Amino acid sequence: MSPRDEARWTDRLASGDPSAFRDFVEAYKNKVYGLAYEMTRNHADAEDVAQVAFMKVHRAVRTIRPGGGLNSWLYQIVYNTAVDHIRKRSILPRETLSPFGPDAPVEGPPDPAPGPEAEAEAACLRRRIDAALTKISERERAVFILRHYHDLKLKEIAASLGITLGAAKSYLFRSLRKLQKELGGAEPCPDKGERP
Amino acid sequence: MRGCRVCRGLIPEAIYGDLEAGSREKLDRHLARCPECACLFADLAATVRKFDVRTAPAAPPEFWERLEKRMAAEAPRPSRAVLVPRWACGLAGAVVILALGIFIGRELTRRTAQPVVATRAVSQGAAPVTLRAAHYLKRSRVLILAVVNADLATEDPFGLNLPLQKKTSEALMIEAAALKKELGGTDRRLERLLSDLEMILLQIANLKPDPDSADIDVIRAGVESRDILFKIQLDEARRSTNKSGAGLAPVPRGGDLARATV
Repeated sequence: MSPRDEARWTDRLASGDPSAFRDFVEAYKNKVYGLAYEMTRNHADAEDVAQVAFMKVHRAVRTIRPGGGLNSWLYQIVYNTAVDHIRKRSILPRETLSPFGPDAPVEGPPDPAPGPEAEAEAACLRRRIDAALTKISERERAVFILRHYHDLKLKEIAASLGITLGAAKSYLFRSLRKLQKELGGAEPCPDKGERP
Repeated sequence: MRGCRVCRGLIPEAIYGDLEAGSREKLDRHLARCPECACLFADLAATVRKFDVRTAPAAPPEFWERLEKRMAAEAPRPSRAVLVPRWACGLAGAVVILALGIFIGRELTRRTAQPVVATRAVSQGAAPVTLRAAHYLKRSRVLILAVVNADLATEDPFGLNLPLQKKTSEALMIEAAALKKELGGTDRRLERLLSDLEMILLQIANLKPDPDSADIDVIRAGVESRDILFKIQLDEARRSTNKSGAGLAPVPRGGDLARATV
């Protein structure tokens, strides 16, 4: 989100325009849901976290100040909500929170001419990526996801997660190093057994 | 190779194209002559490229409808508290603050009017110095452990936060001088330990911005030859013994003996 977009959304939300919140949700639902999913690794939990995060935004909509960093604030809410949710999930038995089993790996972009072998290989790599992402810490995952998928600068990531710029750099380096180690070897596809 | 730590820290930003031109040039120069870092750069860049096969997950299409339903279900109902006018809340708050102020004021004036009961003069003067010394030793130990245990061979360039550690060393050196002055020969052992520590802290404060393992080895050797960590532990043990056994408290010297009586 550019500073101009941020200012526009801040003005619309703070003005009390009844359609502003809905438009805001429609514009940001994928980003919010994306981070929530990466943190919780489960679609049901991700939807719950995303809904709670938007409800928090709705409650605090009047306190938003122009130039206050709407983007960072939104991500901060999502991250904190997700972390709270994960903590709660680790205390409660899994069945009480989500009736669903482990989720299917995230789909990739459509390949223009995917042969069956290339498609299977891509599906395998996606599963390995999903497995690798569960092996890094919550903070490392959040920093990597925000940089890679949400295109946030390290300064914005630091503001969103309430950490220093140096810490954000360190988390990004560590996450990349761990992911490289996880994805580096030529291991077989994890479970599923869909590989031809 | 020299500069590896600094350059490795720049690699993630370089991969995502966030590096300023000057830093990028510096990194490129280093990568051209350091095959290890060049290999790390290539590996990490390849890892990032692997993520191209996977897009970020998207929210379900009926997300807004479900959110709207939930918001309606969880909307707070108007409670009786909301019906109380604002001015009444403000007035109640002012009354509470006023009452609290009167209570605190009375308590304070009553306390100052009471006669001061003399306790042990020695403990009044000595407690802050010993407490500060204990705190000082604890902080020094943490700092020294962080530096001597730093493994510069590891790839994590952010493992050693040198600017902070150098700043802390400087602050501790200043504090050591003040403590020694205050102790004034009452605890020779502690003063010797403080002097030894000053040497080590000086070495840490004077570390280069990009130290190599030889620099850390010098500090490690100094710590080991002077038995710094053992002495700190000994001092802590001595302090805890003094605390637990009242009869073992250090006997005040010379003229203080007269003041030590109640």
